[in-house]
Amino acid sequence: MGLTSLLVRAAAARPHVLVAVMPGATAVRLAAEDQLRRRGWPAALTPADADILLVAGVPAPGIADAVEATWAAVPAPRARARAVRAGDVAAALDGARAELAASVPRRHAGAPPIADARGECHVPGSPEAMSGADHGHPANHEHPGDHEAPVVPGPHDAHGGQLGHDLGDMGMEMPGGLPMADRGPDRDGLTLDQLHVPLGPLLPDWPAGLVVRLVLQGDVIEHAEAEVIGLAAEAASFWTEPWRRAAAGEPVTSATAARWRAAAYLDSLARFLSVAGWDAAAASARALRDEALTDGPAPGLALPVRRLARRVSRSRVLAWSTRGIGLVPGEAATAATAADDVTVRYRRWCRELSEAVTAFGDDSPLDPAVPGPPRGGPGEARALLAALPRQLEGAELAAARLIVASVDPDLDELVSPVGAGHGH
Amino acid sequence: MVTSAPLWSVLVVLALLAGFAALAVAADALLAARAARRPVSATVLAAPLAEVPRLLAAQRRVTPAADRLLWQVGLVTVPVAGVLAAVVIPFGGQTASRMSAGVVWFNAMEVLTWAGVWMAGWGPNAVLALVGGYRFVAQGLAYELPLMFALISAAAGAQSLDVADIVGAQGHLWFAAWMPAAFVLYLGSVCAFSFTGPFGYPAGLDLAGGVAAEVSGPDRLMLQAGRWLLLTTGAGMAVPLFLGGGSGPGLPAWAWSAVKTAVVLAALVWGRRRVPVIRADRYAELAWVVLIPLAVVQALAVGLIVLVKGGPL
Amino acid sequence: MTVAVFCVLAPLAAASGVMVFRFGSMARATIALLVSFLATGGLLIVLGLDYLGIVVILMMIMEMVIMAVFMVAYMMNPAGLMPMSMVHNRRVSLAVSSAVFVLLAAGIFAVRWPRRVGAAPRDPTFALGEALMGPQMLTMVTLGFALLATMVAAVVLAASRGRYDRFGDDLKDRLPADPARGGVGR
Repeated sequence: MGLTSLLVRAAAARPHVLVAVMPGATAVRLAAEDQLRRRGWPAALTPADADILLVAGVPAPGIADAVEATWAAVPAPRARARAVRAGDVAAALDGARAELAASVPRRHAGAPPIADARGECHVPGSPEAMSGADHGHPANHEHPGDHEAPVVPGPHDAHGGQLGHDLGDMGMEMPGGLPMADRGPDRDGLTLDQLHVPLGPLLPDWPAGLVVRLVLQGDVIEHAEAEVIGLAAEAASFWTEPWRRAAAGEPVTSATAARWRAAAYLDSLARFLSVAGWDAAAASARALRDEALTDGPAPGLALPVRRLARRVSRSRVLAWSTRGIGLVPGEAATAATAADDVTVRYRRWCRELSEAVTAFGDDSPLDPAVPGPPRGGPGEARALLAALPRQLEGAELAAARLIVASVDPDLDELVSPVGAGHGH
Repeated sequence: MVTSAPLWSVLVVLALLAGFAALAVAADALLAARAARRPVSATVLAAPLAEVPRLLAAQRRVTPAADRLLWQVGLVTVPVAGVLAAVVIPFGGQTASRMSAGVVWFNAMEVLTWAGVWMAGWGPNAVLALVGGYRFVAQGLAYELPLMFALISAAAGAQSLDVADIVGAQGHLWFAAWMPAAFVLYLGSVCAFSFTGPFGYPAGLDLAGGVAAEVSGPDRLMLQAGRWLLLTTGAGMAVPLFLGGGSGPGLPAWAWSAVKTAVVLAALVWGRRRVPVIRADRYAELAWVVLIPLAVVQALAVGLIVLVKGGPL
Repeated sequence: MTVAVFCVLAPLAAASGVMVFRFGSMARATIALLVSFLATGGLLIVLGLDYLGIVVILMMIMEMVIMAVFMVAYMMNPAGLMPMSMVHNRRVSLAVSSAVFVLLAAGIFAVRWPRRVGAAPRDPTFALGEALMGPQMLTMVTLGFALLATMVAAVVLAASRGRYDRFGDDLKDRLPADPARGGVGR
């Protein structure tokens, strides 16, 4: 129809892009964020808001189901793009936009049948979902009225395969194949419904590949288990590249290393500030990070970075909001960086950022020993993940997101699967 | 008595609201581009309006076992609340519907968002949306009483609940000057009931959009438009309540109303990006233990001044 | 015009009141009750009592949303996904409610309503308030505060964790031992 295709073409002028980041694809993610920033295309937070799904990196088998579930949840008109390397991103986005502009609105075409929720994509049962005799057709195969709406399995952090929990099948046909929520005691001594919700692996501003399986009561976490899926084939952390190149004998200046260090902290800070809802500071952090990572001199970079670090560090509202979150009650933490609350952690990042800025003009060759790369290697990532569930237990969902964002483990370092550490 | 307003005046209200909301969206795009260090041009400012055709052309989503009736009603209620609350705002000297209890009507229509956002969170039967809807109720319990006391302060200053009388009582001195606490609390509450900026907790990024996590298509357009309409209505109401309405030298009344509304709206759009999101579990205690006593003291101060002076300052 | 509005709002109020018991979903039942109250508020506005009507609308929206939260928390079948009957004692309730409705309707039609003498008051809300509470205004204000104090006291008494749980046996701890930290840190 003429009007709809006109609308679609207008819509393709500024599509919302959902970037699905695979483990090990940090470079692609940075390139994608840079491209989106330059084009002015908003990054979608949820598949419901997305027009283009950009898969950054190569989806390993463990995470491919999550990507497919996310794709199934994107409403038409939609386009899919993949970028394996950082240089592919621009072309992939252009291609997807062209595909979007040319797409025929599939109003009257049949929607591809989504398989039953029990088999394919596990949907987290809602607290109100009780067992009930259905009217004979599971909700997945409804085709309501005139709109061929894709029947979505739920939030795009649902993942497929056998990773869902089957909570005591009552033997009754329940709407959407959702199991009945069981109950358990909560922190106030009440008995509340428990909801099994996986956070990740494709949430916005979330460590790629991390899945935290939660038992929620209301929005308070009762029990958490952390695991990494879809691990990359080889471990190569993006942020340690100058040190690896220096160790391999290439000439690397301290200035380059300092800028990469600063960019690593800026990236962590940007994701944390996004999760904390501070849009202006997060956008500045991202822009400064992209500028720090470009080759060539960046004369005016030190001052804005220092200013940002000072502003974030001194923010009273942010400190008030995050004080006391993420402490492990009563126990000594295993990794040194997990012993503090969220406020201490992001302030530490700001301090390190200010220190890294001082070496921006230093053109001497890099001494690989001093100071080291911003992340401590696979051992640190493993320790952080092991400590994470204990920090999350008892926290609310918002606090949990802040904790994970402030811990920000670098999962690119991991190759072998991390044992699913749990705490309750 | 409520004077029956001609139907077309509501359309005029809607048009004005939409115009100011579009300006607010453009200003927000400008600030976002500046923060992202992107060059600013006219296309950048007009780009967010491309959301309208994009969302109109998008498909609706269905979630398993969703409560479609409540979901739809909730999503529709959000923009309707914004528009209904605006019918008592005088623009220039005109009001779409002059009510003797206009301030209470504004409050009542703004409270409609409680029902709307809760239903919008409940409807899709999804975890993140449900948590978002409940977050709005938690935040609502915190901001509502300070807002009510701020409105009562303005009404007490003018000794009337009619918005036109409140404008008339500011002939000497704007209310923002001698009831500053009420003004600041009111502006904060505007961000709260339109769940933007520091009070964007119900639709936050940590929940992948919260109440907006499962909505697409024209429904999403209603929700997002509703947020901006509520912000605009709140900014518009600040003008007659605290900033003297259309009074001012030189320009006609409607021009002054427009200018003041634009200034308040710009301040709100600028301020909302500067502050991190405040979580309701931290904010609720602050609201009940600090802000409500402050608002009560403010109302008491206003009452005493009116009693002693026999009228507003 | 007022008759037309009345003919819309009154059946709406009654019908949504009935729907409260027909919906299987507790959330929908609460919203149906909210609609009924909103229609009643509208009827008060039609009667000329602007302030009362708008306040009824305001208060009822807030109360019904809070009630919805409690209904979902405490009632079975909050989403109506399970086909179970959420009413009990049907026959007696129907009989009593129908009898009361008929009685009240008969009373409304049978009573001799007074004719208006003089003009309508300029502010009907004020006049109504004075007529209802005039000589006892101070009592009413005191009662309001007493009600509020009672509610606060009831909540404080019902809370399972008191001062000694939060601040230690000698009330000397600086920070309260709460599962979640509040914003002021009392």
